[in-house]
Amino acid sequence: MRRPHFKLRKSTRKAVLIWSFLAPSLLIFFLYRILPLGWNVLLSFQAWSPMKPAVFIGLENYQEMLFEDEVFWQALWNTIGIIGSAPIGIAIALGLALLVNSDIRGRDIYRTLIFLSYPLMTVAVAIIWRWMFDERVGLINYVARMLDLVDKPIPFLNSFTWALPSVIAANIWQMLGFYMIIILTGLQNIPGNLYEAAAIDGANAFRRFLRITLPLLKPSIFLCFVIGMLNSVTSFDLVYVMTAGGPGHATEILVTYIYKLGFTQTRFDYAAAVTVVFFLLLLGVTFTANRLSGGNAGAVEID
Amino acid sequence: MGKYPRWPIHLALLAASFVMLVPFYWVLKTSISGENIFAYPPSIIPRDPNPFYYVDVWYAIPFARFFLNSVVVSVITIVANVVLNAMAGYSLTQRFLGKSAVLMLFLSCMMIPFQTTIIPAYLITGKLGLLDSYLGLALPMFSTIICIFVFKASFDAIPRSLIDAARIDGLSDWNIIWKVMMPLAKSAMATNVILSFIWSWNNFMWPLIATRSADMQTLPLGLARFLSYQEDSTGALYAFCIMVLAPGILLFLLAQREFVQGLTSGAAKG
Repeated sequence: MRRPHFKLRKSTRKAVLIWSFLAPSLLIFFLYRILPLGWNVLLSFQAWSPMKPAVFIGLENYQEMLFEDEVFWQALWNTIGIIGSAPIGIAIALGLALLVNSDIRGRDIYRTLIFLSYPLMTVAVAIIWRWMFDERVGLINYVARMLDLVDKPIPFLNSFTWALPSVIAANIWQMLGFYMIIILTGLQNIPGNLYEAAAIDGANAFRRFLRITLPLLKPSIFLCFVIGMLNSVTSFDLVYVMTAGGPGHATEILVTYIYKLGFTQTRFDYAAAVTVVFFLLLLGVTFTANRLSGGNAGAVEID
Repeated sequence: MGKYPRWPIHLALLAASFVMLVPFYWVLKTSISGENIFAYPPSIIPRDPNPFYYVDVWYAIPFARFFLNSVVVSVITIVANVVLNAMAGYSLTQRFLGKSAVLMLFLSCMMIPFQTTIIPAYLITGKLGLLDSYLGLALPMFSTIICIFVFKASFDAIPRSLIDAARIDGLSDWNIIWKVMMPLAKSAMATNVILSFIWSWNNFMWPLIATRSADMQTLPLGLARFLSYQEDSTGALYAFCIMVLAPGILLFLLAQREFVQGLTSGAAKG
């Protein structure tokens, strides 16, 4: 009679221990992930500001957003544009990874130089690129004028045509090294004997790339895409510092718009509704990317 | 593999390296030039180089204060991260009721990026009374799911017999984590330290939202504010920029292997 009782007490003690080890992390995730998600949804159906009691208004916020708010649509398209530009960066990174993976001298140095920009502070990177794009003395305009490519300097960040591409270029520049390292890891995991077998079968280098390298890299490539998108906090920092969403709303993205709605216009309720749409967009893109990559991009090996 | 000319590869990689480095050079050049930075044509090599702009920075802003704030927030974040993630990672190596639910919860939380939580995160931190404090700046980053899984993988690789032996010797679970497992999970710890350092040191959005007083600004915030007050009328902005970047670049070059390993294992795991 005593033994099972003792065993039970022991396993309860163990459970208490395990849960108390998990509790602090769970609390943080509850406070800063789960609760915000629920609160956003709740807030999006309300009219509320810090000084007034909340009133349930149904879909009014969503109605305003979808049918009356042009800035929202502009921000949505710009966000999709930035997400859609990731493949350009990934393609360049794929090329660089293939080059760096060859057995040339000094490849570690190249690798370091290309990776260097990624871990750096994005605010500083944004200031660097503001200066590069400067109308009067920016390097890009200077070179373009030297080579007679343009008659007069282009005000990149103040131009409705050029502002968004400029921000995207800076974003790709910073993410390039990260993409390259992920793809490089994928490349190094491809067994070498596959290539030998294909070479014996008479496949040339291009066919080997198309038939072996690319299919086996698919998970790495989509991992780049998903991580690049989910971690694109960088794009907030870049846009905020480089253009502040301007000129007009030419470089407004959903995050900067949410920030402005919440913290300069104090429209928390409406900002929450925009956040819900933004979240659904990210979820949809991730889900699609995951399906296209064969179902395990960003998957965690649980056991 | 076969013989092929190497020079086109070098040429392409040199071009890429050039593109990656030139922006740094352009800002460095501006920060040490003694003349009017808006003079056209811009000089390629700084004429009359001098450190005046670096001196200006010290007078224009409380650089030491911003630096201190950044260091304090980063240290709190790193310590909390290692402790909390190691504990949670250890729990996940055990068998217990509700484990699969916890795993599901962690995986779904990973799908909620921080940018989609800013409004409630601000309200919650306000309710906790932590706005404009070091703790409030660090709290949302106290625990990170990626690093929990990095710890779990590392703990899983430790032979069970070692843990059983420690338990027979009468060590508590707390001591087993810190005295037996952590010394064997050094690379997981390095990964976690580096990732949480990068995240907190570079973080801009959260300090922007959660600080009000000038005293609490961290370096990225100070840099952005400096830009908005002074516009880019002075070379001091670029000197400030270099001062902020230099420690990061130095750290990266010193601990390059750990950086790359940390970032890829962080990414590959989640």
